[in-house]
Order: sequence, then C-alpha cells, then structure tokens
Amino acid sequence: MIETWYAILTFMLVMFLVLEGFDIGAGMLQHIVGKTEAERRLVIAAIGPLWSWHEVWLVGFGGTLMVAFPNILASSFAGFYLAFFLLLWSLILRGISIEVGGHIGEPMWRTAWNFIFVVANLLLAILIGAALGNIVRGVPLNADGKFALAFFTNFSPYGNVGILDWFTVSVAVFMLVTFAAHGATALVLKTEGPVHDRSLRLARRLWKIVLLLLALVTFETWRVRPELFSGMTPKPIAWLGLVGVIIGAVMIFTGLRGKGELRAVLGSSLFIAGLMIAGAASVFPIMLHSTLAPENSLSAYKNAAAGHGLVIALIWWPIAFILSIGYALFIYHYYLGKVKASEDTQNPY
Amino acid sequence: MEDTLFWSRLQFGFTITYHYLFPQLTMGLAWIIVFFKWKHLRTGDERFGNAARFWARIFGINFAVGVVTGIPMEFQFGTNWAAFSKFSGNIIGQTLAMEGMFAFFLESAMIGAMVWGEKRLGPRNHFLATLGVALGSWLSGYFILATNAFMQHPVGYSTAVDGSLRLASFSGFLLNPWAMIMFLHNQCAALVTGSFVVTAVGALYALRGKHAEQASLFLKTGTLVGLISCVLVAFPTGDQQAKMVAQHQPVSLAAMEGHFHGGTNVELNFIGQPNVSEERIDNRIYMPYALSFLAFGHLHAKVQGLDDFPKDEWPTNIALLYYAFHIMAGLGTIFILLMALANFQRWRGRLEKSRGLLWALMLAFPFPYIATTAGWMTAELGRQPWIIFHILRTGQGVSDVVSGGNVLFTLIGFTGLYFVLGVLFLFLVAREIAHGPQSISADGKMEVSHD
Repeated sequence: MIETWYAILTFMLVMFLVLEGFDIGAGMLQHIVGKTEAERRLVIAAIGPLWSWHEVWLVGFGGTLMVAFPNILASSFAGFYLAFFLLLWSLILRGISIEVGGHIGEPMWRTAWNFIFVVANLLLAILIGAALGNIVRGVPLNADGKFALAFFTNFSPYGNVGILDWFTVSVAVFMLVTFAAHGATALVLKTEGPVHDRSLRLARRLWKIVLLLLALVTFETWRVRPELFSGMTPKPIAWLGLVGVIIGAVMIFTGLRGKGELRAVLGSSLFIAGLMIAGAASVFPIMLHSTLAPENSLSAYKNAAAGHGLVIALIWWPIAFILSIGYALFIYHYYLGKVKASEDTQNPY
Repeated sequence: MEDTLFWSRLQFGFTITYHYLFPQLTMGLAWIIVFFKWKHLRTGDERFGNAARFWARIFGINFAVGVVTGIPMEFQFGTNWAAFSKFSGNIIGQTLAMEGMFAFFLESAMIGAMVWGEKRLGPRNHFLATLGVALGSWLSGYFILATNAFMQHPVGYSTAVDGSLRLASFSGFLLNPWAMIMFLHNQCAALVTGSFVVTAVGALYALRGKHAEQASLFLKTGTLVGLISCVLVAFPTGDQQAKMVAQHQPVSLAAMEGHFHGGTNVELNFIGQPNVSEERIDNRIYMPYALSFLAFGHLHAKVQGLDDFPKDEWPTNIALLYYAFHIMAGLGTIFILLMALANFQRWRGRLEKSRGLLWALMLAFPFPYIATTAGWMTAELGRQPWIIFHILRTGQGVSDVVSGGNVLFTLIGFTGLYFVLGVLFLFLVAREIAHGPQSISADGKMEVSHD
C-alpha cells in the first residue's frame, strides 16, 4: 500500500514536470525563439489551452501527499515556507500573464506581460530545480521531524544547510537547462516557420549541455550522498528509470537530427520521467533525509497514514485519473498539429 | 507563536476572502451561460449566442483570477497550518485531493476551449465544454465545502494510536449532512451573485439606451434567476443551515444572535449593538419568540445562551460574528424585496422604463459579494476557538516552525500582488462591459455594429 502511494505520487510529479516543464521551458525561451510580437504569441498559442490542466497535476500532487503522507506534507511545506510562497507568486504571475497578455493589442501592454511571463517561468524553473536538489541533498530535520530553511547559510550541502548551496544551485541550473531543452523540443513539434527553425537549433545545442550537466550533477550527488548509489544497486525500478533516460536521450538526438519531431518530444518526456523515477526509487523509503542526523530522517513507512483512508483513495483515484485523461484528450484532439498565429485570438476587437 | 497564529489567521482569512470573490461569480454565472448556450443551440437565435460569448469573455477573466488566487489556498494548509494538516490530513486530504482530481482537471481542461474555442469545437461540443466547466466548478464547491463541513461538524473519523485523526467512514465524511446543507445554501448564494451581476449589466445598458436587445435579455434572465435564488438562499437552505448550527454549535448560534443568557421564549434581535463586557445587546429592536421558533420550531423552545458554556469555548470575536451574521441576513432580506419588485415591474412590462429601479439594480451588484463574505465570516468566526469543532483548537493547528515575521512578510506580498490583480481585473472587465455584447461571430471577428 505504501509503495503504491509512493509510486502514484512519483507518477503525478512526473506528469507535472513533463507537462508543465514544456510550458515553463517554452515560456522562458519566448524572447529567444520569437523575435517579433507575432512569433512570441505563437509560443503562447503552442502552450495551448491546457496550461492550467498541466498545473493541476501539482495541486493534485499536494492533495494526494496530504492523504497518504500527512506528516511529510506538514514538515516539508512549513519547512520550505518562503520558497513555497515564491513558487506560488511565480505561478500567479505566470498564469495571469498568459491569460491577460493577449487581451489588448497595444505593444507596450504586450511587451510588459511578455516580460513578466519570461521572468516568472525562469523563476519557476529555478525554484523547482532547487526543490528537487533539496530533496536529494536532505534538509536539517531535527528530532521532532521538523525543519525551517533559510534561503542560504554557508553554501555547504552538509549539516545546517540552507535552500541554496553549491549542490542545490547546480541541480537548479541543470533543471533550468533541461526545461529549456524540453520546451524547445516541444516547440519544434508545435510550430513552423522561423520559431520552429530557431527552436530546432536551440534544442540540439541545449540537449548537449543537458548531458554535460547531468554528468556533473551525478558526480556531485555522489559526493554529497554517496549512499544513494550503493542503495540503488538492488532496486530494479531505479535501473528501469536509467534505461528510460538512455532511451530518451537516443530518441531526442535521432529525432532532432531527422524528421522525428514527435519522437524527440516523447524522448524528452521519457528522459525527464526516467530521471525522476530513478531518483525517487533510489531515495525510497526515505522521503525527507536529515542532514543533521540520519535517525531524524522521515521514512515513508513510518509516516504514511494508516488504514481505511488509503484503501478508499485507491478506489477513487484511478476513476478520477481516467476521467481526467479523457477530458484532456477530448480537448487535445481539437488542437493537434502545428499552431498558427491567427488562431484563437484573445483580442476580438 | 502567538504572532504566527495571529498573522496566519489573518493571511488565511484575507487570501480566502479575496479568492472567494471570484469563484462565487464563476459558479453563479456558469449556469447562466449554459442556459444561453442551450437556447442558442436549440433555437439558433443569435441573441443567445452573443449573450453567451459576451459573458464567457467576462467569465474567462474572472476564472483566471480565481484559478491563480486559488492555488495558494491549498498550499497554505501545509505551509501555515502544518500541525492541523498532520493531525487531520488523512481525512481532509481526501476531499482536497478529490477536488483537484475530479473538479480542477475537468474545469482546467474545458475552460480554454470554452472561452476561445467555439469555432474549433463546433456548437454541440462547445456547449459540452461549457457544461463541463459549470459542473466542475460546482463539484469543486462541494469538495471544498465537505472539507469545511468536517471542520464545523466532524463526522466519520476515528483516532489513531499517535493521536491524529483517521478516516473511519468515507460515506459518513463525504455525505456529512452539514456539507449538503452548506453546499445548497452556498450555491444558491453564488447564483444570487451571478444573477445580480447579469442584472446590473442589463440595467447599465438599459439606462444608457445601448444594446437594447441584450439589455432586455440580461434583465429578464438576471431578475428571474435572482428572485428564485434569493428566496432559496433564505428558505429553505438558510433556515436549515441555522437549524444545523442551533443543533450542533449552540454556542455559535448564541454568539451570532448576541444571546448572552439562556432561556425559553427567546426573541430574535434585528438591530442592536452587542455589549460583550456587560453581556447584553444595547439599543435593540427585536421580535419576541422568533429565535426559539426559527431554531427549534416552536415559540417556547429553550435556546442556550453564551452563559451556558465555559468562557474558553466562546467564539473569540463575538461582536464581529454578531455583525457579520446580521449583515448577511439583513442583506438577504433586502435582496428578496428588490428582486420581487423588479419581477413585478417586469411582469407589468415597466421594468425597462423604471429608471429609479434600474439604478438600484445596477448599483446593487456589490452587495451579494458583501453578503457572501459576511456569511463566510459567520461560519468561520462561529467555529472559533476551534479549527476542528470541539476536537482541535485553532492555536494547536498552526505551523510552529514558521515565525510570525515570515507570515507577515508573505501577507504583505499577497496584499500587494492581489491589489494589482484587482485593478487589472476591474480594468479588463470594465473594458468588456464598455465594449458590450455586440455581435461577435464564433470565429472572433466583429460584425458591423447596429447600435
């Protein structure tokens, strides 16, 4: 039961990072791949009508975490207090810039909202990356299973850590570039013309940087948490994740070289999913690692909600999941193929 | 700690009050748009198509602000109320997660297509997308009210070995009688907000002599839905809600009514100022026997007063609670009178010529927002000092690792950001209203105006 809920949560996080990762990545590249206002609107049109459906995976993740592991939710949300609010404010600004940016054709209105859109997406990528880095590195949990993180302490990933140190900053940079590469790859699939060509050139370059950074971050992780690698050896799911990363990378590079645009996007999604699955499997069963003392760490087994509630949720969750995918497919099939600038204007007069 | 509790309560109160300004219009307006879409689908009459498109554009702006201000709400359970989440997460997490999984996925998938995709989806599927948004918004309402109902009237739980709450009966929790009544009461109130807004825009156009056809459609639909929902919000739903409070939270009822000393044959206070230190109502106007009758169904029923309860179980802000309840009930009564008059004039065919009444209808639209806010203040202040009634005190639910200064910082951040959102919202909606419901065809091209 506990493993099942851990897997469901990992799955929801993967859905969020793959779907929202496209919005974030494409969003932060808006000014690089789009030089004219029409080209920049094309990027927003490519993100499409389902951006808030993508975001709901995060909300669903939060609710599900509360059902299954209320202690973990309580400890981590309060511990990351200020970082969480930065994330929420970035989500607010990003959502609003998508929704209202197109309402008025006035160039300065457009420019202002485009700017907010790009900055909010950059912040989101950095915050999500730093959060993942914090989970891998651990947080200063005390004997009560609580912590409160400062933004930074002495930038060392050991002992009394802050949110940012050299390790979590590297993970944040890695995720930033990964989101950018993922977004560029998806833009190759969804657009044509100059935006398509620029995205293609960018994607080819960015994925090479991603691989370099992945090697660096892997090495750093081995320095900070060596036990994760020895702990990974007997876990087949972690190996499966790594196989996903390798297949994903191959699909990306062959797809981007030839005409396999869809293959590249699937590969890019598989790459992110594989990384998350490998990571989630190797830290399991510790959900929050303590940098102060290993016995303070919060384990999934000791912190799962007991009994009836989890069984009930296991009945309704799959129903809700199937319905949700059904709604999205119903809408997606109207928005297949390349987007065109003239469609779906938000500014009818 | 005390600081953290104070600022966390203020932050949650502020962000939820602000957030709820938007979903109440979403939930009320959604069914009015569904109605216009349905008429358009059935009759092909472009009047209804234009009305649906006009309101869908306003709906889209309103929905966007509702979505972005809603995300912080769910996360604040963890950030600011960690002890509460840890204590009851296994139960309230069910409905919070179901809200995301059943309702938000539906709404978020359909909203983009509803606002911008009429041409792509075609008339029938666009109607379905609109219906999906309306259903999703009401589902979301139910799940969040079931969460609140558990805090007001906890049922379906058991206590685990570590002292936290565990789900014992899913159906008992999900079908909490408090949740059902609160849902009906709250949704009727959302329809009041929606219908007052539609009526106000109709009155504005009628007064300015513009868009005559649409003005008359908005007035007709708005006042009819308005009258029905205004009556339903008071009776039976409001009445049943009050009886529920009388039965399960008698101390809250006593404070709402400023009923300090228990007894039989209890009167209902219409007007008066609660004097908490002297434990009486000053300068009051009241109706004898009415509270006994309304709460328990007969004139001589005993109604417990505040002095029947220990002082540490009294709601923490009795005066504010009393005023909030009386403002809600008073406004609700005025709404019924106003909408009854409007319908009477419409029935005589005089509504569009009654300039005084049109002015009143136009200026009335903020008051449902005030009434719903006051209603929620009644519910939430009435529950104090408990975060889960008679189980967990509010002070025990707050995150103890978060400092008061941090919460104050984020509260200031929200204040600034929400101010900007408010200005933006009013600007964009005013722009839509100024432009008006002129024929915009399904493909977004404006047709030549005949006004």
